[in-house]
Amino acid sequence: MSTILVIAEHRQNELRPVTFELISAAQGLKKSADDKVQVAVIGSHAESYVTALSVNGVDEVMVVKSSVADFNPDIFEATLSALIESKNPTVVLLPHSVDSLGYAATLASKLSCGFATDVFIAEYQGDDLVATRGGYNQKVNVEIDFPGKSCVVMTIRAGAFKPLEGKASPVVTNFDLPAVQSRSQNKEYIELGGGNDIDITTVEFIMSIGRGIGEETNVEQFRELAETAGATLCCSRPIADAGWLPKSRQVGQSGKTVGACKLYVAMGVSGSIQHMAGMKHVPTIVAVNTDPGASIFTIAKYGIVADIFDIEEELNNQLAT
Amino acid sequence: MRVKKTAYTLVDKAISSGDVYNTAAVYGISDGRRRKLLENMVFSKRRELLRLASWAHTPTEVLQMLSDSDDSFVMLRLCKNPKTPSEALTKLYVKSFKGSSKGVNLTTHIAKHQHTLTNLLAIIIHVNEGLEILRAISQNPSANGQLLMELLSYSPQDEKYKVFDKSVASNPSASAEALKVIYDRGDAYTQAAVIAHANCPVLLLSLAESDSDVFVQRKLVCKCVKLDVLANLAENKDTAVRCGVASNELTPQSLIKKLMDDSSFEVRRRLAKRCDLQVADIERLMNDEDSWVRLWIARNKITPLRVLKVLSYDTCHEVRRAVASNPRCPVVLLEALAKDNNAWVRSAVAYQNKSPMRLLVDLAKESNIDVLSGVANNRHTPQSILQELALSSESDIRRGVILNRNARRTTLMPLLEDPYYLHRLMLVDNPMLNADDKLQLCEDPDFNVRFAAYSWFAGLEKSTKTWV
Repeated sequence: MSTILVIAEHRQNELRPVTFELISAAQGLKKSADDKVQVAVIGSHAESYVTALSVNGVDEVMVVKSSVADFNPDIFEATLSALIESKNPTVVLLPHSVDSLGYAATLASKLSCGFATDVFIAEYQGDDLVATRGGYNQKVNVEIDFPGKSCVVMTIRAGAFKPLEGKASPVVTNFDLPAVQSRSQNKEYIELGGGNDIDITTVEFIMSIGRGIGEETNVEQFRELAETAGATLCCSRPIADAGWLPKSRQVGQSGKTVGACKLYVAMGVSGSIQHMAGMKHVPTIVAVNTDPGASIFTIAKYGIVADIFDIEEELNNQLAT
Repeated sequence: MRVKKTAYTLVDKAISSGDVYNTAAVYGISDGRRRKLLENMVFSKRRELLRLASWAHTPTEVLQMLSDSDDSFVMLRLCKNPKTPSEALTKLYVKSFKGSSKGVNLTTHIAKHQHTLTNLLAIIIHVNEGLEILRAISQNPSANGQLLMELLSYSPQDEKYKVFDKSVASNPSASAEALKVIYDRGDAYTQAAVIAHANCPVLLLSLAESDSDVFVQRKLVCKCVKLDVLANLAENKDTAVRCGVASNELTPQSLIKKLMDDSSFEVRRRLAKRCDLQVADIERLMNDEDSWVRLWIARNKITPLRVLKVLSYDTCHEVRRAVASNPRCPVVLLEALAKDNNAWVRSAVAYQNKSPMRLLVDLAKESNIDVLSGVANNRHTPQSILQELALSSESDIRRGVILNRNARRTTLMPLLEDPYYLHRLMLVDNPMLNADDKLQLCEDPDFNVRFAAYSWFAGLEKSTKTWV
């Protein structure tokens, strides 16, 4: 029997969605039915997250009460180090986030663990654990294995795994916080645009919406579709200007260039010069627009002249089955 | 400086600028000697001629004038430009017979073009220069039912013409008669497209009721009006079909109750969007484990205020944001959500039309770009705050002020000098600025802005004949 340890990430009293993606990734790494997925949650109100963490795929939730509510790199590193020594997990999964950047590498180095960052595929190939991540500015996929390592620490890219559904009743235990001298303290919480949103310059699969979306309620429909399809929802300028999606999701001259994107599905995006400046380099662009003369078709690899709502319905039908 | 009155002044100004885009903007209000001068300017530079032929903003009169060109590349670009008018397309079709090697290619684009006259499409069918051209017509909504039927008559003899069936099935001009022909000989995908068509006859819908193919059922469920058929479809093992029942406006309360217990969250999500839910159903769905179900309840315009209040404490911030975006959200909840720890929730409060001035004044003290953009956009934001935001170093926030319909002239004036050309472009149509203010945009360093400014003055000239 082996153990896969997941570290829950929370911010401002809210669990970050990537935590549930990590649980899904952990499920995929189980080699036998006896293998266990343990989720550790660290913080002064750690117990308040137990209900939310009681989801399918979790066998045990470990509550680690600390003196501070939010993330602290020293506390997380010391706690994780104690957890690894105590529980002997074969794999430790952390979100690839600004938090884990602060302690994951040090931890792996100190404990001589295998280490891979920004992983988007984690799987066993035979008996060997293999992590896949991007290389050379996301131009190639790099497979990393960890010969001779009894424990591997991975930071997992947000959006790479679909969260599991359904509630469960895992065992809840407490784990004592080890003695730790913290060298840093939280002064102020400053939120980035879009509420610590995903960085669209690093994602590979984007679904983008434009004026053709019509009204705000329809944005939610496409956000739902993007989530189901495993895409990151982005937009053209008018959508962000209307406040329907955060500015951090805006592609183009006024927004961001989606440097790592490999598949870009443009829904109801006419293709203004300003928008295309941020995405025309993407190798596979699929454009859906009712107007056959829309500029977006000039750069699309695949063009569909159709109502975006028909295509949305069809994709939903395909994904629902 | 006061603006001078006549169209000639504007045309002379465009001519003296030597800029082909300025010229294009005022072409429609010119005549006689001046119009000839403008035409000479446009035709003298081939590069600009090509750009104007394909540019999305080129005025219709200019595209018509460009159709006089015998340059095959200009002709091709005109045929591809969705704004090219019918008369120009007819002229280009006639010219395409004059031995140009691009004739067939031109005809394909004319056959596809939505401005091509039905009579011309009929001629193109009779000339029949190949499958691609005929297929382009089968996809063109300008082709009427009669022409589409004519295309379908090609199909039985030759397998290759069967491609028309699929494109006619999705052409909005297809008649009930054409759809019947296609349905009778089509595969399941084509039949599904026929059932989804707005002109699908009742007879075919009845036939489809006994069809066991899931593609057909998925389309049928959206148009179904018979309660017994809906009841059958609600038992279907395909989730998408049950989703269709959950979305169908005619689905009765008894079936809605039944679907509330559906194991698929996708079905419950569809139910949560309905505007005829009973309060007990809403109260049940607001506790659904799926956050999307709760979100759709939070967005639903019939959701009672007490449910909105409960959802305003939801653990998922997108649900709380949906409450803040709901047009029925009361001010008391907006006040609470304005203090939410998630900026995306506060941003929804900043954009909400019901947010009172005092909330917006508080939100204006934030540093988050989404929140400040919302404040800049909101019609209740005081002018003094808009003036501060107009000077923001963040272009998104300045653009919010430009988009605010209540931003006054004095607030907008500094933005005429905005470093981002798009912002100056957006100001051209702003009704709060007068013609004197906009005159400087005719001299803008960016050609898009200059063109928009000249077009605005030309439009003013057309409508009122005076500018001041």
